[in-house]
Amino acid sequence: MVTAEKRAELKATDASLIDRIVQRDESALAALYDRYSGMLTSVLNRILRDTQAAEEILQDIFYQLWRNAAQFDSSRGSLSGWLLVIARNRAISRLRRHNPASGDELSENTVVVASNLERSVAQQQLMAKVKSALDNLPKEQRAAIELAYFEGLTHSEIAQRTGDPLGTVKTRLRTAVETLKRDLHS
Amino acid sequence: MSSEHPTRPEDFDLYALGALDDAERQAFESHVVSCADCAEKVAAARGRIAILAFAAPTVAPSPGVKETLMRQVIASAEGPSGGLARVKPEPAADAGVFARWWGVLLPVAGAFALATVLLWLHNEQLNRQLADLRNTIEQQKQELAETRHQADLIAARETLVVPLWSQKGTPESHAEGHARVLYNAKEGMMTYDGWLPSAPADKSYQLWLVPMNGAPISAGVFNPQNGEMSHMMMKLPAGVTAKEFAVSLEPAGGMTHPTGPMVLVGPIS
Ligand SMILES: [Zn+2]
Repeated sequence: MVTAEKRAELKATDASLIDRIVQRDESALAALYDRYSGMLTSVLNRILRDTQAAEEILQDIFYQLWRNAAQFDSSRGSLSGWLLVIARNRAISRLRRHNPASGDELSENTVVVASNLERSVAQQQLMAKVKSALDNLPKEQRAAIELAYFEGLTHSEIAQRTGDPLGTVKTRLRTAVETLKRDLHS
Repeated sequence: MSSEHPTRPEDFDLYALGALDDAERQAFESHVVSCADCAEKVAAARGRIAILAFAAPTVAPSPGVKETLMRQVIASAEGPSGGLARVKPEPAADAGVFARWWGVLLPVAGAFALATVLLWLHNEQLNRQLADLRNTIEQQKQELAETRHQADLIAARETLVVPLWSQKGTPESHAEGHARVLYNAKEGMMTYDGWLPSAPADKSYQLWLVPMNGAPISAGVFNPQNGEMSHMMMKLPAGVTAKEFAVSLEPAGGMTHPTGPMVLVGPIS
């Protein structure tokens, strides 16, 4: 059963929850966790293929949000986008043993997401849309996108991995992002 | 350095995707950092790329994560600044009663004081031992952190690895000198590993970062002994684009700018 209080949290905007976190309201953090932890766990696991590492990063991101929520400017970018970018950055850093991203992640990484992902229905709709857009890409383009997004490889690293000429890889990725932009944002 | 806007709209998506190789990425960033229009386009491209996350198979976090997180959050709220209620001091004891007992209590108090002092001394000793232990642990932690940092520095994609060799016409004694510099401009971190013969008594070697623009920056003075390798790690101003690294022979203790012969040079290709 969903209580009235819980229903109110489900409707609250990210911006209002952030404001409450700034006021040290733990329940607002819990609400944001409920809202976005699934989406983040999925991408963290896909990148790391290591549940424990994924959950460590997940917890860390929300704890960082708890401590530094005041630095997050909801008018400049969306929280869901920021969470996705940070989760991916951290997972790839870990995968490739880079320096962990440091400093002002909250104020520096402005991410503007066209869709509002505050409702879980919206997340599910977007998931269906993204999956079908990727399914519609030619096989090599899709593979290149996945190597870049989920493994953090650059053009030349993808070329090395697949054995394709660098120029081919560049064209492939360029065409793929163009198609995705058209399919997902038209 | 490029002051041109990226020419094609997909450039922003490719950047957000992380697909650009170092040189392209640096050129892109060096423009975007000072162009508000492009920074806005980057934010939008980040959002377009971020949603590719939804292609990942759905996995739910285990319930323990939220529990640990909330415990961590609550513990942080109860930290040193948290609201521990102050205990009110008891009202002062009645002076008359206290005086009557004074005679009886004084010797007891004396013995108690002595015991307290002994305990205190013992405690001091324990505290000192504890402090020593803490220092050792702190030191080890620091060493570990440095080692990790160095490992991270080596692994970082943007770290340059630059070999340094002796130059033509160098005196015979230096012909075998060689070194390797790792340089991470973003962090301003630099390591130097190399071999050079011992410097003459009144001289020192000095390592220089020669930037694209401006005067060479001293990165350290060193005096290798008995044919040993030199290892150094240093922090320089972050964000300097290096043209080359060099080691010169300077008056002992080093100079503010290079004056002596360059014994090792490593241009950045
Ligand atoms: Zn621009």
